[in-house]
Amino acid sequence: MTLLTRRAAFAAGTAMLAVPSLARAQGAPIRLGTLTPLTGAGGPYGPVMANCVRAVIAEVNAAGGVLGRQVQLVSEDDQTNPEAGVRAARKLIDVDRVAAIMGTWASSVTTAVAPLCWESRTFLATVSGADSITALPHNGWLVRTQPNTTLQGRKFGEYVLELGAKRAFFMAPQTPFTQSQFTNMKVALERGGGSADLLIYDANKPSLRTEVDQALRARPEVIVLGGYTPDSTVLLRDIFRAGFRGKLLAFAYSVNQQMIGSLPHEVTEGIYTLAPSPAEGSGGFDRVKRIVGSDNPDPYTCQIYDHVNLVLMAMAAGRDGTGQAIRDSIRRVSQGGGERVDNAVDGLRIVAAGGKVDYDGASGPCDFTDAGDISDCRFRYEQVRAGRQTLLRIA
Amino acid sequence: MVSYIVFLLVIAGIYALLAQSLCLAWGVTGLVNLGLAGFFAIGAYASATVVKWGGAPVPLGLLAALAAGAIAGFVVCVSTLRLRDDYLAIVTLGFAEAVRVVASNEIWLTGGTDGISGIPAGLPRDWGQGFHLASLAAVSAVVGAVWLALRRLVASPWGRALRAVREDQVVAAVAGKRVTRLKAEAFAISAAIAALAGALYGHYTSYIAPEIFQPLVTIYVFLAVTAGGNGRPTGATVGAYLLIAFLEATRFAAEVVPGVSALQAAALREMAVGVALILLLRFRQRGIFPELNQKAPA
Amino acid sequence: MPEALIQALINGVIAGTILAVPALGFTAIFAVLNYPNFAIGALATVGAYAGWVGNTAFGLPMAAALPVAFVAAALAGLAVQWMAVKPLEAAGALMMAIASLAAGLVLENMLRFGFGNELRGFDLPLLRDWRFGAFRVGPQQVENFVLALACMALLWAFLRFSRTGRAMRAVADNRDLALLRGVDPVRVAAVTVAVGAGLAGMGGMLVGLDTSVDPLVGTRLVLSIFAAAVLGGLGSIPGAVAGAIAIGVAEEVAVLAFNPAYRLVVGFVAILAVLTLRPAGLFGTRAG
Repeated sequence: MTLLTRRAAFAAGTAMLAVPSLARAQGAPIRLGTLTPLTGAGGPYGPVMANCVRAVIAEVNAAGGVLGRQVQLVSEDDQTNPEAGVRAARKLIDVDRVAAIMGTWASSVTTAVAPLCWESRTFLATVSGADSITALPHNGWLVRTQPNTTLQGRKFGEYVLELGAKRAFFMAPQTPFTQSQFTNMKVALERGGGSADLLIYDANKPSLRTEVDQALRARPEVIVLGGYTPDSTVLLRDIFRAGFRGKLLAFAYSVNQQMIGSLPHEVTEGIYTLAPSPAEGSGGFDRVKRIVGSDNPDPYTCQIYDHVNLVLMAMAAGRDGTGQAIRDSIRRVSQGGGERVDNAVDGLRIVAAGGKVDYDGASGPCDFTDAGDISDCRFRYEQVRAGRQTLLRIA
Repeated sequence: MVSYIVFLLVIAGIYALLAQSLCLAWGVTGLVNLGLAGFFAIGAYASATVVKWGGAPVPLGLLAALAAGAIAGFVVCVSTLRLRDDYLAIVTLGFAEAVRVVASNEIWLTGGTDGISGIPAGLPRDWGQGFHLASLAAVSAVVGAVWLALRRLVASPWGRALRAVREDQVVAAVAGKRVTRLKAEAFAISAAIAALAGALYGHYTSYIAPEIFQPLVTIYVFLAVTAGGNGRPTGATVGAYLLIAFLEATRFAAEVVPGVSALQAAALREMAVGVALILLLRFRQRGIFPELNQKAPA
Repeated sequence: MPEALIQALINGVIAGTILAVPALGFTAIFAVLNYPNFAIGALATVGAYAGWVGNTAFGLPMAAALPVAFVAAALAGLAVQWMAVKPLEAAGALMMAIASLAAGLVLENMLRFGFGNELRGFDLPLLRDWRFGAFRVGPQQVENFVLALACMALLWAFLRFSRTGRAMRAVADNRDLALLRGVDPVRVAAVTVAVGAGLAGMGGMLVGLDTSVDPLVGTRLVLSIFAAAVLGGLGSIPGAVAGAIAIGVAEEVAVLAFNPAYRLVVGFVAILAVLTLRPAGLFGTRAG
């Protein structure tokens, strides 16, 4: 399957180089691109994301495609580097002429790629967390499914209080959202009579013992982990060794199935995680589980699942396989009432029949503000128990 | 397609400046700069901060980048010039990483890991394709100017002295060359050229962040310079354009390798860069444009 | 704060001892073959993966997985040496260094191609630290510490008592003289590369035990390895050990003294300071 689509994509690609006008004629396939990190620091996340999109598109093609046209996917590697990301995006935009680029992960890559997208009328859907991204002058050409850090920080702070703790310690590497996450968490905590401290560590260090000692000296009741999977693995080991008996709170994208699988159970036991989530009973999350073959799909994978579904349905609703149609129509399929759907195959059928859909995805209800941020989001509160993430509640 | 090629030519021009920088330091003088990415970053940040936050015109930013690069180059090389050249390689490698750490953490100055976006270009961005063509003209003009200047420098008595230092420091010193001073001058000028490349990159793409300046950039430039011929500015410049052509070609080639996942294709592309460099070093060490007078008179 | 400082010192000595293993590999190759092998990070990663496979697929205990790491990294090191580096001997140390850098990139991506980017953890119970009053040490750390010391002791015995080891030292001390005395340079070079790369591989596995294994596990160590080797004097075996411990301690104390995010800068500043003030390093010889 993969083999066939790859060859087909190449054949179409070469044909397009030769006769661009022909290739864009009616009935030609619609192209979409993913730009995820396959190498570099984001390497643990990007490959699964790209595979998830491939699976969704295969399903849609099997069901007849979009607007009667097949959909082709081109997956590029941003190397977790804005320079390489921009080159890859240029190729996606100018050579493959994709209608949308999905899944940019590092905030720096998204910030670098976004101007190319809006200048060339290509839609961009991202999972990057930095608050600054939706503040770019993108004019509607960008949406992000990751809750912004103001919201996440507040949720973390409130959850610390809810766990019956007052003193929290935030440990994170330097990322575009570390400061804002901490500030907002601190505000929420202080409002409830608590306090928070921050330690920024070097994510490449093979041992964080002294950093953990430093944190424990503040006698925190909860340690909040703000890093990604590789550095959080190191940190958790050292927290365990230090005999910390308090509670641990982390992003679900860092304490994910991959990490739980690579650490002894007693290290991850009891960690609370938060991830953006749709309302209870939404089927999108279960679909992603099936696609990636894991009970606990990564939050980024859930988000890119939403990107591709929304993009496909928006093209159908806009009756055109272009970035412009996606930009103009995405909010018509993501929000505003209509038949609830959690996948593009169902959604496309309804849209084709002239119906209106309101998509509820795997990462949330996917309703967007004008700036491109999600307007409402619940969180999955989970706890690791015996090597599995166990759902506590969705709120 | 046309805009893709125009864009790549601009990026290749920026890599050409980096290659010219390395040509002077490594090819002509024998100083291995594994911290090229660090000087690239210094220039990008110097110019971006002066122009965006200081409100200076772009040419002033470029001058600031040149100055910052030269100073940083001098500081980095000065402690190792009397030692074996391997020490400089290690120090520069560490320097590039240190620059990235500082750029990530000194948020007040560099915007931290968020980077600096919306850097003015000095040319109107709303010209669409015209902007990219104008940028291409501007960057190509700088590449041409640096190429001419380097050719003259390399052919001058100063350039001959540098080559003498490269061939044999002891002989050069006995012949009355001020070896340490020559090396420091060459390295500082070379660092300034790399910084200029960084400044142009920032103004063209409007955005810089610490993650751009990874060690892989340095390896790319070594590949470019080796391919073109490390002793001649012409070789280095042509090598950079070939490098970008090669990097982009691997993208299309990876799409037709059957039966590999996207991740494996990405790994194959990076492997290709390493293998190409090894093969060139082994079989075509003097590059496409080999140095004409291999042995310089001491 | 004295307790915090002492604890940081303990952590630093242990971290430094583990760092000393790959640093020894790097410096040994430099001493005998006269070039800095920049593939050292990727070779450490090879060792980490080999040890991980030995441990999780074949159920080997740590002490048995360590030789697997050694052998795999040694073979990879020899492949790098013969295919990429050796043909450039005539072109000088810098060309060899650059070739090794490229070879490291190839190795890293071969591992990525085969194993993916997922984090791999050793099948090893994690134990809480032992506490001694205000201080704590981890059983795992102690085990790694002892394993690292054992690696060093073996290396020392090899260099001191075996014929090949003595030949290596002779070449390192004075190449021409050693050749005159009939040392086989090809054999010595091969053994040195194998031992050096093997040490890097064991170092990579020791770090992987403590963290997890992914294609970048060795690359993350590279700057600390270089800093350690330069600090001790490039090419000096005891210097690499002392340098590694000094870097280990400096990196931990830096956490208390400055911003912990500046760890890498500490190593860099240490290199610059040493080269400026005492270029031969703490123990070094061959700076000139």
